[in-house]
Amino acid sequence: MLEHIELFFKSIFIDNMVFAVFLGMCSYLAVSKKVATAVGLGAAVIFVLAVTVPLNWLLDQYLLRDGALVWLGPEYADYNLSFLSFILFIATIATMVQLVEIVVEKFSPSLYNSLGIFLPLIAVNCAILGGSLFMQSREIATLGLAVNYGISSGIGWFLAILAIAAIREKIRYSNVPPPLRGLGITFIITGLMGIGFQSFGGMLTGGDDGAAPVEETTAQKTEKEEKEIKEEIDEKEISYNDAVKEYK
Amino acid sequence: MSDNRLTFKKRLHILKHRYRGKKMAPAFNAFHTFLFSPDETTHSGSHIRGADDLKRTMNTVIMALVPVLLFSMFNTGYQHYAAIDAANGVARELSLWGNFFTWENLWIGITQVLPLVIVSYGVGLIIEFIFAVIKGHEVEEGYLVTGMLVPLIVPVDTPLWMLAVAVAFGVIIGKEVFGGTGMNILNPALTIRAFLFFAYPTWMSGDKVWVHEAVERAGGPDAISGETILGYLAQNKVDEYSYTISDMFFGFIPGSVGETSTFLILLGGLFLIFSKIASWRIMLSAVIGSLVMGLIFNGVVDAGWITETSNFYGLMSFEFWKHLIVGGLAFGIVYMATDPVTGSQTNRGKWFYGFLIGFLSVMIRVFNPAYPEGVFLAILLMNVFAPTIDHYVIRGNVARRMKRLKNATIFPKDSDSKEEELKVETV
Repeated sequence: MLEHIELFFKSIFIDNMVFAVFLGMCSYLAVSKKVATAVGLGAAVIFVLAVTVPLNWLLDQYLLRDGALVWLGPEYADYNLSFLSFILFIATIATMVQLVEIVVEKFSPSLYNSLGIFLPLIAVNCAILGGSLFMQSREIATLGLAVNYGISSGIGWFLAILAIAAIREKIRYSNVPPPLRGLGITFIITGLMGIGFQSFGGMLTGGDDGAAPVEETTAQKTEKEEKEIKEEIDEKEISYNDAVKEYK
Repeated sequence: MSDNRLTFKKRLHILKHRYRGKKMAPAFNAFHTFLFSPDETTHSGSHIRGADDLKRTMNTVIMALVPVLLFSMFNTGYQHYAAIDAANGVARELSLWGNFFTWENLWIGITQVLPLVIVSYGVGLIIEFIFAVIKGHEVEEGYLVTGMLVPLIVPVDTPLWMLAVAVAFGVIIGKEVFGGTGMNILNPALTIRAFLFFAYPTWMSGDKVWVHEAVERAGGPDAISGETILGYLAQNKVDEYSYTISDMFFGFIPGSVGETSTFLILLGGLFLIFSKIASWRIMLSAVIGSLVMGLIFNGVVDAGWITETSNFYGLMSFEFWKHLIVGGLAFGIVYMATDPVTGSQTNRGKWFYGFLIGFLSVMIRVFNPAYPEGVFLAILLMNVFAPTIDHYVIRGNVARRMKRLKNATIFPKDSDSKEEELKVETV
């Protein structure tokens, strides 16, 4: 239970998709002019992540990773299909996005129209593929945690686009210098928001490290370096001597 | 005063008229309105006459800050000499007139704190003037408060060039690119603080930066310590500091220049509330938020869920109400969170906004070992989310009134009104 809470909190705030790893920026920048649209896209991203991450977890667990095929029989233990990760992950994601598109078009035509090209583009939204790849590289242990990870990193992305959409609505009538209008000011806002999200940087993770290692003084450092250099020279001399001996 | 001698005011007035419509006009205008009260009246359009213009508002906040600044000058000197005494093993009793309000303390304050104020105002106002001249609008008074807040929230030994760089960053990126005063999304003073914190972390945190000269003397035979109370607690040294509760409340403790005296901050806060400059909703809800979070942590300790060896024990077991009198929480709540530009602007939104600031401040304090003090980051984070809160408060209001409209008998429920409603929802 505790690890669920920790992962949930961590993937929303600490490893935020936008502010910590800068993924999914294209639709984040392009579809954040209005809060209503941003909410729609954010919800779609949460849904797609919540479905694709566990699906890809299953794929990874039973098909792709080293020795994953052992359930077919002991002779499959040596197979490692992880080079197929990208193709299979993207295939899952594309399928899911198509599904979402069909559903949204059927039930909310207005949202479908305002999202425009960015709904099918979720398929290549780096946050989605990033979610699956992080799931793989961080070795998320169980299916439940994978679901949790998908939903919470989606919520992180959702919060980011929600906040920036509200800010952009607020500054719509601000007297921004002409060269910065549009994307320029949006990038600056994103940077400033990143500062705000720094509040969580190092939270939870840093606590386990205990006291920081004592910094070496420069004198100690140079001493150490000198010693290393000396050793290196010694080694070289030895090898040189050996070579000379062999030559003789 | 004889009529044929031109007064300074008159000269400024003439200069202003000569440069009217030219590029330099805003600069003269700013001096004129800043130093004197012009007797000009506007000629066109209809106007609402209010006593509290931007300048009056800003000046009120500065008045609330002056006692804090004066106290901080004495405290800077006091902490310096107290740390030297402590290093030499001399016992020191605090006596208000004996060793606190003394000339030698004030001298340290004048040589250390005043330059910070001058650099902060100088750099910031130069940038404001340049932008006003380029953009051709009047110089806005927005920097007056920011320039006063900045020196109060940095450690006393911050190098002046660092402060200048940070102020330039904060004023340009934090404010001017958004169109100047009233348009920014993050509090400029806190942006400057955050810039300093992330760009020069060694000068902004640790146990040496909070007392004058502690950095220079570090490692030497006359080394002095300047650990803050939160610093002690973060390292689980619960009993190693010797400050009493009244020390904490009245501010005879090390810390950022102006954050120490909760008592004077409280007076300033009351002054701001009674002059209706700052929002009491934000202050009250922020206090409640921090108390709630502190109570939760104390509850965790009381329930025995964490042991004394845990990294968080020191801060978690700290009595919940003491969080308000150490560190920058009080200063942040009174002077930073209540910023009318970057804070939440709806009354209901202010409750959420303030509560979350208090809540997150204490949470970051306790849980984030990287920052023993998280108030400025919590406020920045809530600045980011303030427009979102406002948006939903307003949407909620619209929805409620739509419902009332629908139930009202005056308007017949026909198909037209339904269509109208749909339109509003999808916009």
